[in-house]
This record gives sequence, structure tokens and C-alpha cells, in this order.
Amino acid sequence: MLKLDSNEIRVAAFIVVPLALLLLIVAVKLGYSIEGSTIDVYLKVDSISSIKKGTNVKIKGHTIGRVVEIQPVYKPALHFLATMRIDNTVGLFENCAAVIQNQNIIGDPVIELRNPERPADLLAGGSVIEGIEHVNLEVILQDVHNLLANTNAAIGVFKEIQLQSKGNIRSMMQNLANSVANLNSILANSQRDIVAILSSFRETAKTFTEISAELKKRPMGFIIRGKKDEPGEKKPDEQKPEAKK
Amino acid sequence: MSGTIIIIRGLLGKCFGSFEGVRKFFAFVRSIFVSFRSLRYLRLRSLVAIAVNQTRFTGYDALPIIVVISLILGATVIIQATQNFPKFGIEGFIGNLLVIIIARELGPLATAMVVMSRSGSAIATEIATQKQGREIQSLELMGIDSRLYIVIPRIAASIASILSLIIIFDIVAFFGGYLISLSTVFIPIDIFLQTLLDSMSADDLIITLVKSVVYGTTIPLVCCYYGFMPRSKFEIPIYVSRAVMRTLLILFVVNALISALFYL
Repeated sequence: MLKLDSNEIRVAAFIVVPLALLLLIVAVKLGYSIEGSTIDVYLKVDSISSIKKGTNVKIKGHTIGRVVEIQPVYKPALHFLATMRIDNTVGLFENCAAVIQNQNIIGDPVIELRNPERPADLLAGGSVIEGIEHVNLEVILQDVHNLLANTNAAIGVFKEIQLQSKGNIRSMMQNLANSVANLNSILANSQRDIVAILSSFRETAKTFTEISAELKKRPMGFIIRGKKDEPGEKKPDEQKPEAKK
Repeated sequence: MSGTIIIIRGLLGKCFGSFEGVRKFFAFVRSIFVSFRSLRYLRLRSLVAIAVNQTRFTGYDALPIIVVISLILGATVIIQATQNFPKFGIEGFIGNLLVIIIARELGPLATAMVVMSRSGSAIATEIATQKQGREIQSLELMGIDSRLYIVIPRIAASIASILSLIIIFDIVAFFGGYLISLSTVFIPIDIFLQTLLDSMSADDLIITLVKSVVYGTTIPLVCCYYGFMPRSKFEIPIYVSRAVMRTLLILFVVNALISALFYL
């Protein structure tokens, strides 16, 4: 039996404990858990532009694992299988969705697992989940770029219209002022005629009153012979000889 | 004119002197490799005993100072990062910064400097004193290869000590610094650990091992070389001081070379 003195025990502990810690860090980094409660699940993706080895796997923002390996699959068409080592105590269903999304504008992408509303069988090790690329940063940037270009063009058009319409607005205002002046003069001229028109209306009303009175007295006579001569009135034929005399 | 000639002659002398020094150093390293031939004449137990004693002195006894230094440095880096990173909207990169500064550069370099200043100077002084006391001559007379008996256990002890100290330095700097930084800012521990793990790559772990081996070999080698140099007891302080300064310079150069080799 190997006998160690206290000096050797201290030195052995001094070397073994840090080495054990280093090995523990390596194991955790490789995705192993101390309790061994992890399962390997595959994520099928078309391209690996957004995920890499070490990408976090989350559910509702809580990290439950990471991508430990990515391997290409050539048949039937080229795609990739990312091995996700995840905590199997979470209770994921086999028909869950895996959305690849960015944490923020500069953060690394993460794989967000989403359980369906209807529960199904629990996700088993070796299952394959189809990956959905939720937000592609390049596409967002391209869209923002296009939006800015369109806004810039629209502002240019507005500026051009403003410059061109300055003269038109001035002439329109001039015409409007002329129209107002014409309207004013028309109103001023028509003030004199209004009195005559009103007296004419009054005469017409008087004539209608006479006609209605005559019609009331002798309707048939008025229709057939017209207005009855007043006793004091002279006929036009009788007036002529007097005028001759 | 004569002054210029003296300066040129002095510079050339320095250059040749440096060259001569490098040549002698490599001859010393070669003699250590050659000394392995006499390994069969030594009891392994005696070498292990020296290595254990050296590890205790170099590593175990240096633990308190390493813990204090790592705590202070870790706290400084974490507090600075947590205070200033949010101003730039990059607080998510605190883990990366810690790994880059503490695990990759500061941890190994600070540990090596502590070991060098504690043990390197002690090794040079011890060997120089043994030489002046004719202890080394006695070893040679007894047929024991002094290079093998003195240098190899120290190199082994230094490598083991520096590796352990670097790991302890990093862990204490991360967690101690985290605990101290809690007085100014709050970061959830799981997020802190996750960020650290995400930021750490396989290269970082490999570099830690590489630096441990390189520093662990360089420090005792250079210090032993200068320890064997003094020809009288009055030269001991000169060579001890030279050992410390040269080792310091070599440490910085080697650190830059390793970083360039792995990260460029």
C-alpha cells in the first residue's frame, strides 16, 4: 500500500482538484450534464448560415441545451442535421416547432423550441425536428435598405413638386383675386337693377290680382271677351276722332 | 571619431555577447537532454521527492497570493465591463471579454509572473548557493548528474504548479470577481455562467495547457541556467537579478508569440 505523507497529499490535492475542475468544464462545454439527463435531438435545416456549434437551444427564453454537432446530409437534397443536446426534463412534445431566431440585433442566433397547443407524445432522443428560420438578419437589413431608398425617392419627388408648383400657386392666387374683384363689381352693378326688378315684380303681382278678381266676377266673359271696359275708359277708336279734332 | 568606434565596438560586443549567451543557453539545454542518459542511475523516488517539494513551494505555497491577485484582477475587469459595456449596448459580450482578458492572457501571464518572482529567483539563488558551497560538485563526485537531479524535477514541478495555478486563477477570477461585482451590479449567476461557457472555446483550453507547459519549462530552465553561472558568491545577486529580468522578458515574448500563433 502506497503511503503518502501530508506534504504529498497536499501536493496531490493541489494538482488533482484543478485538473478535475478543468475536466468538468470540458465536459460541460461538450454538452454533457452531471446527472446525465440530456437527450440528443436532431434539427433539420436547409442552410447553416445562422446556426453553429454551440448555438443555444431555448424554450421561452430559458436555455435548455446547445448544438453540439452539425453534419451535412447529401440525399435526397443537401441539407444539414444539427445535433441538439437538450435537457430531457423540460417535457417537449414530438410535434414541437424549432424556430431559429436572433436574440437581438448583434446577438448570436438561438434555436427556440415551441411546444404545440395540443399535447402529443414526449420528444424522444434521436427525433428530428424541422427548423424554421424565423428572422434572417440579412433579409431585415435588405428590407430596411429598400425602405430607406423608397423614402428617399418619395422625399425627392415631393421636393420637385414643391419647386414646380410654386409658380402655379402664385398664378392661381392672382386668378382668385381677379375672380373676387369681378364678383364684387357684378354685385355692385346689380344693386341698381334689383330695385327695378322688385317694382316690376310688384306690377306683375298687381296685374295677377286684377286678373284673379275679374275671373271671380265673370269667368266666362273674361275668357271669351277679355277684360271689361270701365265706364270711365274710352275705346281706342273713340279717342282717335278727338285727337283728329 | 574614436568615440564612434568605441560605441560601435561596444554595440558589436553586446551583440556578440548576447549571441554567445544564447549559444551557451542552448548548450545548457542540450546538456539537460543528454543528462537523461544517466536517469537509470538515479532512484525515481528521489526525483519525485524533489518534484513534490518543489511543487509545494512553487504551487501550493503560492495559492494565497494567487487567490488574492486573481480576486482583485477579476473584480476589476468585471466591474469595468459591467459599468461600461451597457453604454455601448454590448453588455452581452461581458463573458467574451472575461475569457479574452482573464483566461487567455491575464491568467497565464500573471500566474507565470508570480511563479517567476517567487520560485524563479529562489531556484537561481538556491543553485548558485549550492554551487558556491560545493554541493553540486559533491553530487558530481558521487556520480549524480547535477543537471538531471536539479533541473528536471524543477521543470516537472513548475509545469504542474503553473497549470494548477492558472486553472485556480481563472476560476477564482471569474467567481470571486463575480461575487465582488455583485456589490455594484447584478447579473444572474446562470446567465453569467452560460455566457462564460459560450465564450470559452477549445482553443482557450488548449492554450492554457500550452502556456502552462511553455512557462513551466522556461522559468526553471532560465533560472537554473543563471543559477549555475556565478563563479563567486559576490556574483550571486547579479545573476539572480539577471535570471529574473531575462525570464520576465522571455515570458512576455513567448506570450505574444503563442497568442499570435493561435489567434492570428
